[in-house]
Amino acid sequence: MKNHLPILIIIFPLVIAFLILFLKKYSVQLSLTGIFASLFLLLRLTSEILNGNTIAYHLGGWEGPMGITLVIDGLSFYFSFLVLCAGIYIIFYSLYEEKYSSSYYFFLLLSISSMLGVIFTGDIFNMYIFYELLTISTYLLIAYLKKGKSLKASFNYLIMGGVGLSFFLLGVGFLYALFGFLDIALIAENFLDIYLVHREMLMVSFALMVIGIGIKVALFPLHGWLPDAHSLAPSSVSALLSGITVKIGIYCLIRILYGIFSLEKYFFRRTGQIFLILGSVTLLFGATMALAQIDLKRLLAFSTINQIGIIMIGFGIGTKAGITGALFHILNHAILKISLFFCAGIIIKKTGSRLLQDLKGFGRREPFIVLSFTIASMGMIGIPSVNGFISKFIICSAAIEAGFPLIVVIILIASVITAAYYFKIIVLFFDSSETSVKITKPSGKEMTSLRIIFGYWPVYALTGVSVFLGIFPTFGINLLEPAVKLILSNFVP
Amino acid sequence: MKNSSIIKTISQKLFPFIMLFGVYLILHGHLSPGGGFQGGVVLGTAVILLSLSYGIEETERKIKIKYLSILEESVILFFIFLGFLGILTGGFFLKNFLPLGQAGGILSGGFLPLLNLIIGMKVAAGISGIFFILFKYRGEI
Amino acid sequence: MTPIHFSILLFFIGLYGVVNKNNLIKKIIGLTILNGSTVLFFISIGYFENGIAPIFQKDMLKNPVPVMVNPVPQALMLTAIVIGVSVTALALALIVKIYEEYKNLDIQQLSKE
Repeated sequence: MKNHLPILIIIFPLVIAFLILFLKKYSVQLSLTGIFASLFLLLRLTSEILNGNTIAYHLGGWEGPMGITLVIDGLSFYFSFLVLCAGIYIIFYSLYEEKYSSSYYFFLLLSISSMLGVIFTGDIFNMYIFYELLTISTYLLIAYLKKGKSLKASFNYLIMGGVGLSFFLLGVGFLYALFGFLDIALIAENFLDIYLVHREMLMVSFALMVIGIGIKVALFPLHGWLPDAHSLAPSSVSALLSGITVKIGIYCLIRILYGIFSLEKYFFRRTGQIFLILGSVTLLFGATMALAQIDLKRLLAFSTINQIGIIMIGFGIGTKAGITGALFHILNHAILKISLFFCAGIIIKKTGSRLLQDLKGFGRREPFIVLSFTIASMGMIGIPSVNGFISKFIICSAAIEAGFPLIVVIILIASVITAAYYFKIIVLFFDSSETSVKITKPSGKEMTSLRIIFGYWPVYALTGVSVFLGIFPTFGINLLEPAVKLILSNFVP
Repeated sequence: MKNSSIIKTISQKLFPFIMLFGVYLILHGHLSPGGGFQGGVVLGTAVILLSLSYGIEETERKIKIKYLSILEESVILFFIFLGFLGILTGGFFLKNFLPLGQAGGILSGGFLPLLNLIIGMKVAAGISGIFFILFKYRGEI
Repeated sequence: MTPIHFSILLFFIGLYGVVNKNNLIKKIIGLTILNGSTVLFFISIGYFENGIAPIFQKDMLKNPVPVMVNPVPQALMLTAIVIGVSVTALALALIVKIYEEYKNLDIQQLSKE
């Protein structure tokens, strides 16, 4: 059974998702079983992957350009580990937040299964199919409450996502017209021969694919859907979207840029510069807009745009240190942002309001949640002893080595602005001048203490992991060693 | 829409032929243009034609949406089960395990007609289900 | 004008529809045209001059096989059409709910509230 593991990891959450529609009463237990089983199957491959091997699996027995291959290498392993671990936390938190019906868990498991499909596939058209499946299930998760402004946010996201993926499909069409097959490994082998003859068409294809994925990743001019969609969704869905779904777009960009288009060195240096510029603009834009927000979750959504800019800068630099810093920042940002959104969800549930001015004195009611929020925001700013500092430091030192000192100045300015808007919230928490703490009891059923534990322990656990990674970063960096080696050698095993 | 007896009679007479054409498209999916999705859409369109001429309430009494949902959800599990049978008979996921007949016959191509049938049923249930939910239940269920 | 040029023209028409029209349903129609243009592009890649439709007939084993049009992009585009249909159905369901809530389908009015 060991050599069938790639397809089993994808199929397990899918089967459990459809079983949930039949056995509606056991939806939570079934979904936890599904994700734990997938995680267990993934961890059985750990020793092989960390030694640098690659596992390839041909679906249906058809090899080569005629069939679809699933590929597990260091990069896929890293991202799928992140997705599955985050999925466990999100299911636990959804138990706390509300008594969700079985269709919520169905869409959650469907989105996790399609994320694993995007990560493991080795065929570029199959990547489009799974990505479209992921996008459809997130539309439904955002519009879950079926009333209010979340409908408009979901519709906005639908239009932009549909247009973006059509651009991506047209880019794939250009690649297919030039090469004649759709397998990523085979395209990479024949890339240089075709580049000598059809240079312009390859550049058009690359531009179309980057625009398409850029809409999903929220690079600067294409970010308009993100603040509405991430802030008007339920809190667990916001954590799923900001923490993991955006990273899947970055994974696709890595596969396309480093797997196919970086074999030609001149082309690669120019595209690296484009990502540097776009990343810096995104960084400053997100930081400045976040400073002006009065709604808590919208502020966190703009902070996501901020950090995505840093990750893009890391990939734009392109040296070993830059890629290591960017990959580590993906992990750190996922941990910190999921923890922040969970805290925001707990705060909104307790005070009944989303505006910042109603948070005064919250520190007296829930001291531990405020402490976790403070530690997570320290990580986002980049203060030492929390993991965010280490990844930002690696990216800055990579920028100095590669000869871009201006980038370090931009990152420092953005960090100062980040500090400004996070400290604004923390000061409000610890403000004890007024005694008018809003003690509204939120409407809804009473929560048993068991459900409260389900809401609070993910926050504490994630905070603990972030402090641990801040003091001992080697655990995280060992996990991404094979991925970095693979990227730098252009995916040639 | 006034009750027009011409449309009611014509659609009543045409309905079995449209269903027959849909099943023909599904079964000959591996030989000629067609297949699961196209045949399923034709079957769904037949149900929509019937409900446009007779009214949605009456059509939904005959083809209940509860059964359409159950059909849709159980068929996909059968698809994945067929994939696992491919693993159990010593190959990869979704490997062909039925004998290939002669090229051009209807029982050729291993388990492709079976997969086409499954997808055809799912798509037919899906399209008619979407129509009923959008127009009768206004998006709630 | 070859089909490939025509598909690029359709792409821009669809993009114009999504961006410039104010009514929500017209935006969905633009998105459908956008999906259709990529389908046309893929299918017109596999076209050969004087090629016949890729249907296998029983007497092809005896007679020499003539040139057939490439059937692989056609199979890929079936899946893409299915995805386009699902996204359209979902968008229409969202529009029904938005209309019930806001009684308005104009995007300028909706973004003011």
